[in-house]
This record gives sequence, structure tokens and C-alpha cells, in this order.
Amino acid sequence: MTTLLVALTIGAVLFGIGLYGALSQTNLVMIMMGVELMLGAATVNLVAFWRFLHPDAYSGQMFVLIVMTVMALEMAVGFGVATSRFRATGSVEMEEAAELKG
Amino acid sequence: MLQLLAVVFFGLAAVWFGLAVFLTRSMVRSALSLLFSMAAVGAVFLTMEAEFLGVLQLMMMGTEMAIMAIFMVMYMMDPGGMSQMDMTHQKRLSIAVGAMAGVAASAVALLADWGPVAEAMPDPTAQNRGLGIELMERSMLIFETAGVTILVAMVAATAVAIGRRR
Repeated sequence: MTTLLVALTIGAVLFGIGLYGALSQTNLVMIMMGVELMLGAATVNLVAFWRFLHPDAYSGQMFVLIVMTVMALEMAVGFGVATSRFRATGSVEMEEAAELKG
Repeated sequence: MLQLLAVVFFGLAAVWFGLAVFLTRSMVRSALSLLFSMAAVGAVFLTMEAEFLGVLQLMMMGTEMAIMAIFMVMYMMDPGGMSQMDMTHQKRLSIAVGAMAGVAASAVALLADWGPVAEAMPDPTAQNRGLGIELMERSMLIFETAGVTILVAMVAATAVAIGRRR
């Protein structure tokens, strides 16, 4: 039980750090790093749940694979947007992207 | 006991390097810190006996963060952090929200009743076989959907990144 609680707490702390990064950073690439940390925290929790609660149900591992796919997609599309933004304005600072507001 | 110590050690390493991502001004150090944090998460997977996911995490994050470091050097105004530029905003709010989220999630983790903990684990061979059967049977549609989504994201990212031709 202790290992499960330690793993879940580590996931919670990592999620908090990622959320801080996603909210506080002004640069698109740094914001993406915060989102990566949050998704990493989610995978820690999922693996802990699978290992300590349902080791015979592989849908837990499947869920982690899907989260990893989301991480890769977020990076790919994020860098696509960053490249486009850099070409248009010469910067990926999100404070200079107020015109994207609806 | 050994597993607990290993999870604590690699978990603290993941948290420390995760914090270092946002504490350093150098973008290259940020990218390397994120790489180490994700590698520590992979090590946590390995210590929790999820061998396949642990190795996958290490391989994926190694390449992903290396690519991220290149993009950061390309796009940041001050990639070396030499001019000590502050690239943060709404700092107090972010710290408060991050701390609240961390504390709330930790409280749920510590106070919830998770039921009985499984001690016995399938061996790595049985795990891989079980995951393969899960992928090819019950979760096949999800797996296929993930593949198609990756293809769509690749096309979308390329289309967005290509500049307009005059």
C-alpha cells in the first residue's frame, strides 16, 4: 500500500509542477513542457493503479500507451504551430499572440 | 522494501528535475531537465515492474526531448539564458494554482480507500503477451484510432508548419 501511495503522491506533485509551468510561462515551447509534465504525472498514476490494484487487467497499460501517443501528438502539433508562429511574427512568445483571442 | 526505496528515489528525481525545468533560465538546461525527469518516470515504471512501458518511456522521451532541445534553441530569444530574461507571467497565481492542484491530488491519493493491494504480478513475458492480446482483441479499435490520429496529426503539423507560397 505504501508504494502505491508514494507513487500517487509523486504523480500529484509532478502534476502541480506541470500546471504551474503551463500557467506561468510565456513561451509556447515552455508551456508545452508543462503539459508534458502533467501527462507524465498521469502516466505515473495509471501505472501505479495497474500495478497495485489490477495487474491482470491490461487495459491500464493500454491507457498509458494512449497517453504517450497524446504526448507525442501534442509535441508534433505544438511545434507545427510554433514554426508557423515564428515564421509569421519572429517569436513564439504567447503574450504577443493576443490577436488569437476570439 | 527495495521497490519502495527505488520508487521514492526515482520519484524524487522526477520531481526535482521537473522543478528544475522552470527554475533555470537556460533553455538547453530546461530541455535536459525535462529529459531527466521523464527518464526518472521511466525508471519508476521499471521499478513498478512495467518493463515494456518503462523501456518505451525511456526510448520515446529520449528522442522527444532531444528534438525539443533543438526547437528551443531555434525559437527562443535567449536560449543560453545569458541575459537573465524573465519569461514568466502571473507567477503568484500560477504557484497558488499549481500548489493547490498538487495538494488536492495528494490528499485524494492519501485519503481515498483504494481497496486491497495486489502483491502477485504476472512475469514480463506474460505481461507482454497479455498486452499484445489486449491490443489485438478488446482494445483494437482504440489502437487503430490512435494510429489514424497520429497520421492526421502528422499531416496537420506539416500543413501548419509549411509557409505560404507566394
